[in-house]
Amino acid sequence: MMTDLSIPTAPRKRRYWGNVWDAVKSTAIGMGITFKYLWSKSVTVQYPDEKLPTDERYRGIHYLEEDLCICCDACAKACPIDCIEMEATRHGKELEWHKFTLDYQKCMFCELCVYPCPKDCIHMGKEYALVVEDRGQLVMDLLSWKGLTEDQKVRIAEAEAKKAAKAAAQAAAQAAAKGGGAKMDAGGGGGGGGGGDSAAGASDAAETEPTH
Amino acid sequence: MERAAPSPGLLQPGQREIELDVRTQDVEINMGPQHPSTHGVLRVLIRADGEIVTAAQSHLGYLHRCAEKIGENVDWLQYLPYTDRYDYLAAMNNNLGYSLAVEKLLGIEVPPRGQYLRTLIVELNRIASHLIAFGTYGLDIGAFTPFFYAFRERELLLDIFEKICGARLTYSFIRPGGVFNDAPPGWLQHVEDFCRQFEKKWPEYWDLLVENKIFIERTANVGIIPRDLAIAWGCTGPMLRGSGVDWDLRRDQPYLVYDRLEFKVITGVGYRGTVGDCFDRNYVRMLEMVESLKMVRQCLDQMPEGEVSHPDVGLIIRPAPGEAYVGIENPRGELGHYVVSDGSKIARRVRVRAPSFCNLSLVEHIMPGTMLADAVAIIGATDIVIGETDR
Amino acid sequence: MLTDPVTAAAPAPPQGNLWTDLMHGVFPDGMPWWMVAVLGAAVAFAAVMLFVTVIAMFSIWLERKVAGHIQVRLGPMRVGGWHGWAQSVADGVKLLLKEDVVVTGADRLLFKLAPALVLGTALAMFVALPFAPGLQIADVDLGVFFLISISSITTIGVIMAGWGSNNKWSVYGAMREAAQVASYEIPLGLSLMPPVIYYGSLSLRTATDMQAGWLGLHWYVFDPLHFWIAIPSFVLFFVAALAETKRAPFDLAESESELVAGFHTEYSGIRFSFFFLEEYAAMFVMSAVGAALWFGGWNFPGVTQMPEGALRDFLCVVVFTVKSMLLVFVMMWVRWTLPRIRIDQVMTLGYKYLTPLSLILVFAAAVLEYFLALAPSVLP
Repeated sequence: MMTDLSIPTAPRKRRYWGNVWDAVKSTAIGMGITFKYLWSKSVTVQYPDEKLPTDERYRGIHYLEEDLCICCDACAKACPIDCIEMEATRHGKELEWHKFTLDYQKCMFCELCVYPCPKDCIHMGKEYALVVEDRGQLVMDLLSWKGLTEDQKVRIAEAEAKKAAKAAAQAAAQAAAKGGGAKMDAGGGGGGGGGGDSAAGASDAAETEPTH
Repeated sequence: MERAAPSPGLLQPGQREIELDVRTQDVEINMGPQHPSTHGVLRVLIRADGEIVTAAQSHLGYLHRCAEKIGENVDWLQYLPYTDRYDYLAAMNNNLGYSLAVEKLLGIEVPPRGQYLRTLIVELNRIASHLIAFGTYGLDIGAFTPFFYAFRERELLLDIFEKICGARLTYSFIRPGGVFNDAPPGWLQHVEDFCRQFEKKWPEYWDLLVENKIFIERTANVGIIPRDLAIAWGCTGPMLRGSGVDWDLRRDQPYLVYDRLEFKVITGVGYRGTVGDCFDRNYVRMLEMVESLKMVRQCLDQMPEGEVSHPDVGLIIRPAPGEAYVGIENPRGELGHYVVSDGSKIARRVRVRAPSFCNLSLVEHIMPGTMLADAVAIIGATDIVIGETDR
Repeated sequence: MLTDPVTAAAPAPPQGNLWTDLMHGVFPDGMPWWMVAVLGAAVAFAAVMLFVTVIAMFSIWLERKVAGHIQVRLGPMRVGGWHGWAQSVADGVKLLLKEDVVVTGADRLLFKLAPALVLGTALAMFVALPFAPGLQIADVDLGVFFLISISSITTIGVIMAGWGSNNKWSVYGAMREAAQVASYEIPLGLSLMPPVIYYGSLSLRTATDMQAGWLGLHWYVFDPLHFWIAIPSFVLFFVAALAETKRAPFDLAESESELVAGFHTEYSGIRFSFFFLEEYAAMFVMSAVGAALWFGGWNFPGVTQMPEGALRDFLCVVVFTVKSMLLVFVMMWVRWTLPRIRIDQVMTLGYKYLTPLSLILVFAAAVLEYFLALAPSVLP
């Protein structure tokens, strides 16, 4: 306890009628201001019925341009709290998406994930309402589709066919060069896991497309 | 309840002679952590003799999030969003403090437009922060309405911030090396519109709350911090200037472009009571809003064209080994960042000097002898943000 | 509504009305005395309770709307459609359905008794209010005195609530309330004296009747010889009434930013709603006293001149209620403008400002009345 802290206050001018006048006057001025606003238009809106527009640059819930994304993990690495997780299998140039989740329990909407993206495919949207009935639902998947689309399948098939043709041509060329004896070898590379590795792309594609 | 003689340490001789013949037990009350006017989760343990506070002790840590330790575990840039979160009412200022410290390590200079944009936006943020301080102070004193008026104007500011960086509270806008985005087209015009609007509203706050007789009675001559005491306890910001000390880092250790702007450093003058009372602290904040508005205007006039960020600073920052301290004038006082680099992409040490923390340390020493309602007024005039005191 | 239970309760009413005639049919030998008392009390209680509930609910809704619009918000907008008119009903139902919590360590008896006592006194105050010529539960001769003495009983309930809650904040609220109400009884009573001197009666009925001149506009505040006393005394009365009803800027008993919720911190559900009802009922009563003594009571051009009857009574009730509600509105307006006073300043204001000023006014009113009595021809 410090004793010198009970500082004597400067003697106040005790003006009796002055105090009365100040009180009445300042109260009247204040009530005038509040009365003016009593009739003014409200600045609030009825929220769920009426929503204020969010701006162009608003940092809301992310959206992903899935067809552009190359699953490079740059955004996940840039994230200060590691709330982004992604998983895809590579089929040559095509990606079979398994998940791209953002944990909105952690996300602090700092936009640091947007800047490092080499393909400019993750953005922050204008949605801000994060009302869910269960915490688990806050781990949101940004993917609009999972697995392979029909287009992708066609493209993979084409790439596969091209590859096979190329391999066949190579093999034929080799056979021609060596004089036969070589066997066709397209599936020897060994299966890559979920992470997908471009080195094993060609053989993966051959493996994961049994219909071909 | 047994009657105990008041402990000798609490009763100052001659302090309350009238009550001395009636020996009563002092009441110990926990003001907070859940209390309407402790501005978050501050807990003040108050010992009171009836309405008179005889001792007070503040307890912190209810909002501790290890922000400084996190700084040693994430990249230099990744720490930026965490700086938003200690003084969440003035996040731009926190971004700026950290960014300036990192830039000092890097030894770079931000292009002029970036500097002006930073100055402009931290001053706008200062207005927003002081608006909250003013509004919640009214709330502490018992006037509800000024709070809503303050929030109405703050909302306009938040719209401005949203337009430039996309966030309304935790901006992460000012980054080491500059700012993330240049102003969108028409944004400067928005700022100018706000200045015009705010100029009309500010006198209303003054008339409605500051000049109100009850408000004056509640705050003038309450919680006086004399000049020497304020300096001795390391108070900064409006808390220090309210005690009549003419010290402002923006003028005395200029950073950004403050040396090119004209502004007055507001100090408490005992406008309605004694120098250094709660009224003066609020008075300083009120007038600082006007000064900030002047600075915003000057920034708008002088705003140069060009780049906003230093081209060499990327997303991965690797400062040379060394250390740097930069203190800036946060709305609440000197916000210091002390950063140590070992040359890697992760900081060796990040230390924050939080103004609220230092200002709060004095509060429990000026409370004894005041009344319970004054305790609320004193906490309110300190304008603490618990996110910052606890970090 | 238009029954007069007090008349019914009288042992031998000199002239019959609908009520006595009906009862005569049921009990040809006259009702037993206890039944008369019980029935009269029950009817009066039901009528007052209904009126208080409606008025309080409307006031609560109005308070929220006034607060909202002053603060450039909208206030309640959803429940019931038009501007959320049914919000209070919904809140009332919610409060009724909530769990009845009595906190551990509370003094159960005091804790449970306090809301009832508080609401009961608020209801008792309605007894003396002159709503209309044919509608006043009891024309108490000492009407004004009765009202201010009953209204201070509320304080006992508040102290019981604060002490019984076993909460330090509640005790603070209760003690503040006790100190505040005890000291504001004096200026409240004194500021009521100028009109009492003017009317020469403590009865609110007499006061209202005496303001019936000038087509119903000869209110005390408009009297050319008295307005200079009437207006300041009304201001003093209003300030004291704010303190008496624990309204801002004198809401120290429940000062939210200091004492969390003051004396009713630990209350919830129906018991809390009793305190809430009491607050608005007391506001209405104080405003009604102001309306009756200064603003002509039920008198209004067009209403005063009407022939006696149910329609006139109804319009009188409307006029009186509207006048009172306007004063209630001013109380709300003050609340949403001013900060809260500290307890020592409350005392200073009460003892050093309001009491001397009201004494001066009482003196002035007495002197004026004395000289006017000397010159009766000057009387308007």
